[in-house]
Amino acid sequence: MKKDYLITQEMIDRYGEINGDNDIIHYDVEYARERGFKAPIAHGLMVQGYASALGAEKYGADWFTRGEIEVKFVGPLYPDETITVEIDDEGRLDVSAGDRTCIVGSARLRDAS
Amino acid sequence: MTRPSDVKPREGDLPGTRWDDFEIGAELPSFSFTISPEIVAEYSRAIENDPNGYVLDGKRVAIPSILSVYLMATLYRRYPPTQGGIMAGNKFRYYGLISADSDTTIVGSGEILDKFEKRGRRYVRYVARFTGADGKTIAEAENISTFPN
Repeated sequence: MKKDYLITQEMIDRYGEINGDNDIIHYDVEYARERGFKAPIAHGLMVQGYASALGAEKYGADWFTRGEIEVKFVGPLYPDETITVEIDDEGRLDVSAGDRTCIVGSARLRDAS
Repeated sequence: MTRPSDVKPREGDLPGTRWDDFEIGAELPSFSFTISPEIVAEYSRAIENDPNGYVLDGKRVAIPSILSVYLMATLYRRYPPTQGGIMAGNKFRYYGLISADSDTTIVGSGEILDKFEKRGRRYVRYVARFTGADGKTIAEAENISTFPN
């Protein structure tokens, strides 16, 4: 099961508003470049939210009381990139931007064999 | 209704915590917040999801990842954030439902589990626990973040 999202700076800003943070790495181009990124980076937890929504779609009601999601952020996610969020049949989670892997992890139910 | 910014110190508002100041085993004091239907809808829109939430057993509930926007408050209320923090990893375990129809009061707390250096970066690992007004666990999280100072 997978879903594509086109990340925009507007989406990053909107997440920053509800997230209540003021981390300039999410909107300051010069600062992001100083830190070695090509542009401001998306919030990792925003994309983890996409994955959690996919988990709800995959596992249904059990996801809300037995769901377990683990992510490792291995690469930045930039605005104007289309990302693919995928949970495979074994519960492996992968988020990629083209051929670049950005997040690896799992989304599974506890006590599920 | 508690917006995350109501309970989470923001980067730049206070002197940021230096990595040396994080103390393994330190308690992250408890704090209370209320998730309203408006917060559920705003969060859902921010993750490109249905603002009406989900219907389980006839009741509307929030996507459990909504607690993500309160997660860092657990750490930052004791250790104010510095600019440029980056998340390295995160784990959430969901246990209980959060209403999308009425207010849900939640208590967050946690503990610093570890801090370490790897490939020139300095990391902090902590656990956060979220319980309902009845004391039952709604979710647990384990987060690893790196900070530039």
